[in-house]
Amino acid sequence: MDFTFLCQTPPPKNGRKVAIIGAGPSGLAATGYLACMGYQVEVYDKLPKAGGLMVFGIPGHRIPGSNIEEAVKKLESDYGVDFKLCTKICGSEPMHQEAGDEYAYNYKSLGGRVQDNDAVLICTGTWKSRRLNIPGTDLTGVYSGLEFLFPVRAAQYDIARVNVPEIKGKKVAVIGAGFTAVDVIHSSMAEGAREVYHIYRRTRNEAPCGTLEIDLLEKSGAKCMELVSPVRIFGRERVEGIELARCRLTEPDESGRCSPLVCDGELFRLDVDLVVTAIGEIATPPFAHDLGLEHVRKGQVRWLHMTSMDSVFVAGDALTGPSRIGNAVYSGLKAAKSLDQWLSLKSQNRLDEYKDEIILKEDLR
Amino acid sequence: MKTLYLDYSKCIGCGTCEAVCRFVYQVPRIIMTRTSYGLHVPLYCQHCENPKCVKVCKEKAIFKDDLGIVRLNEEVCRGCKTKNCILACPYVAIICTGRDNPVAKCDMCVSRAGLGPACAAMCPCDALIIGDSRELQKNQSPAAREAHERVRKYIICPECPSPGSW
Ligand SMILES: Cc1cc2nc3c(=O)[nH]c(=O)nc-3n(C[C@H](O)[C@H](O)[C@H](O)COP(=O)(O)OP(=O)(O)OC[C@H]3O[C@@H](n4cnc5c(N)ncnc54)[C@H](O)[C@@H]3O)c2cc1C
Repeated sequence: MDFTFLCQTPPPKNGRKVAIIGAGPSGLAATGYLACMGYQVEVYDKLPKAGGLMVFGIPGHRIPGSNIEEAVKKLESDYGVDFKLCTKICGSEPMHQEAGDEYAYNYKSLGGRVQDNDAVLICTGTWKSRRLNIPGTDLTGVYSGLEFLFPVRAAQYDIARVNVPEIKGKKVAVIGAGFTAVDVIHSSMAEGAREVYHIYRRTRNEAPCGTLEIDLLEKSGAKCMELVSPVRIFGRERVEGIELARCRLTEPDESGRCSPLVCDGELFRLDVDLVVTAIGEIATPPFAHDLGLEHVRKGQVRWLHMTSMDSVFVAGDALTGPSRIGNAVYSGLKAAKSLDQWLSLKSQNRLDEYKDEIILKEDLR
Repeated sequence: MKTLYLDYSKCIGCGTCEAVCRFVYQVPRIIMTRTSYGLHVPLYCQHCENPKCVKVCKEKAIFKDDLGIVRLNEEVCRGCKTKNCILACPYVAIICTGRDNPVAKCDMCVSRAGLGPACAAMCPCDALIIGDSRELQKNQSPAAREAHERVRKYIICPECPSPGSW
């Protein structure tokens, strides 16, 4: 991976400085763009390594960690990008806890970054997981997809700081059928789980990860259960089991999706030690309110990708919600281009002339 | 001859190739698709030895250059109604843009003055690489060959593959 794919060699510096918050694919793509335009770029991330979910969420057999490492090294040594890792950036709101916080031992304010730079780009991704709304989700042994995967992957870097779930010899139930669920199941098996149950409300034909993935999971020994929905998680302090209800698909509606789904069938219990709910992440940038992100999402902006704070831009999953690397990269590149145009026009006092053109010309995502 | 080679066993379908191409050219010339079965298949020009698109274009707007890259001369393309080039391409690699330049296709980024294909540069999995087509074929890994065969079978007959059979 080469984030400076837009230039052959480092250009002369243009005298402007930008801070990027979050070193996932969107932040790194933007960094590459701006470095190629001659910007001095500093990149903040709360984690000890750059790469975001490409390194800490997606397993190494999908994306080799060395690919990202080399790409980051090139930004650092050839383009003078300053990576400030283990540094969490905070806004004025109270902080919420999310996966990966245990690594940050520096805390810096967003306001400070805005003062020290010509512009700031926020690429913080979606690190808060959606929870199942059933009894028992607060028991020890219940994890979200990221809570489970992140420590397993992060343990390679600094074992003292994270609580790695004990997986060896355990029975694991994984709920959901997206790529996160698939990754959780593969990781569980790689870590020596005794039994892995894959639990999905619909059938493999509706699974967002595709039937191929489910076939491969079965091949590697997972027990795939279709048309079952979790009702409650049993246990005194720790998870001891999970109760499931059988579901059925009714006639497809106009949208073609097989809804509604009715889960009024037989109830039954599985004895398990761990429950992982991989049912999606929610975008929670640390400064959602300060930035008026709701307005940015609806396209009510003054400048493409700019938040309600002057000179602060936003891109990637933090803006769009959970997505894919490609979309995050595109969003980062577009935001970087918009940021560059904004600063250039501002320095010539010509922002007003181009405002409408830039906003109308491009789709806002 | 240099070509863009895809190792299907490494592709995870993340769509970075399409995203980067879209950023550079507005209309992407490589398009990520996924079969209902879950195979990731980016569609793009294979720069064929005997390109069907070149044969069917009455205006000779599509040609093979000295390096073996199949290119589109937008000045000559009249945007004919029949769009035979689109129909002729077995790789679905000629893209109908819906814009002033009616069709687009991969030109291995020749216009990027020596920077090379942007998609390959940004592929996080090293699935998309540039190299000599013969060398690449020769050095194909068994996993890559198997994955390619799987995709080929699917394309020949989407209903056929029995999932458990490989
Ligand atoms: C388990 C899993 C599997 C996936 N598999 C795939 C796949 O196979 N293919 C695919 O295309 N996509 C996949 N995705 C989705 C993909 O990883 C994301 O869409 C993509 O990484 C989003 O990029 P981003 O740059 O917006 O955010 P992220 O990659 O999330 O990066 C955000 C970065 O910001 C940092 N950060 C957050 N808050 C702060 C703060 N306050 N201060 C400092 N730093 C901060 C984080 O530490 C992180 O490094 C998967 C996601 C998950 C969770």
